Amino acid sequence: MIIAAISCFGIAGLCGTYRLLAGPGLADRVMALDLALISLMGAIAVDSARRNDTTYLALLVVIAIIGFTATVAASKFIEHEHLRHQETNT
Amino acid sequence: MTTLANTLMLTGGLIAILAGIGVLRFSTSYARFHAAGKASPVAFLVAAIGASIQLGAAGAASLAIAGGAMVLTLPVGVHLLFRAVHRTSPNDHLITDHLAPAERNQPPSV
Repeated sequence: MIIAAISCFGIAGLCGTYRLLAGPGLADRVMALDLALISLMGAIAVDSARRNDTTYLALLVVIAIIGFTATVAASKFIEHEHLRHQETNT
Repeated sequence: MTTLANTLMLTGGLIAILAGIGVLRFSTSYARFHAAGKASPVAFLVAAIGASIQLGAAGAASLAIAGGAMVLTLPVGVHLLFRAVHRTSPNDHLITDHLAPAERNQPPSV
C-alpha cells in the first residue's frame, strides 16, 4: 500500500516532467517543474514513513523554498522579457 | 493506526495523480495552473498527515514546517505566474476577464 503511494507520486512527477519537456510556453514549464518538485516532496515524506527515518525530512523545507524562488524569478523574467520585446519593436 | 496512515498516504498519492492528469490534459495555461496549483499542495498535505501519524512528534514537526512553508509560498508563486501569462499572451479565449480592466486603470507594477 505504501509502495503504491510512492508510485502514485512518481506517476504525478512523470506527468509534470512530460509537461516540462513538451509544454507550449515557459510559464507552463515552470508550473510543471513545481508539480514535479511537490511530487518529489510527497514521495520523500512517504518514503520516510516507510523506513521510519526522519533524516531526509529537512530536505522538504529546502525543496519548498527553492521551488518558490524559482517560480517567482521565472515569472518576473517572463514579464520583463515581454516588455523588452515591446520596447525593441516600437 | 498504521492502516490509517497508509490510507492517508495513498489518498495523497491519488490526489497527486489527479493533479498530474490535469496538467497533462487541460488545454489552456490557466486551467493547467489551476490543476497544478490547487491539487498538488492538498496531495502533499494529506500525505504529510499520514506520514506524521507514522513518524511521531519529531517527524511531524519537520513535516509541519515543510507544509506550512509550501502553503504560504505556493499560492503567491502561482498567482505571479498567472499574472505573467495574463500580461504576456492574448486572452481571447476568456469569457470574462476582470483583471484586464483593473490593470488598465493603473500603470503596471513590476
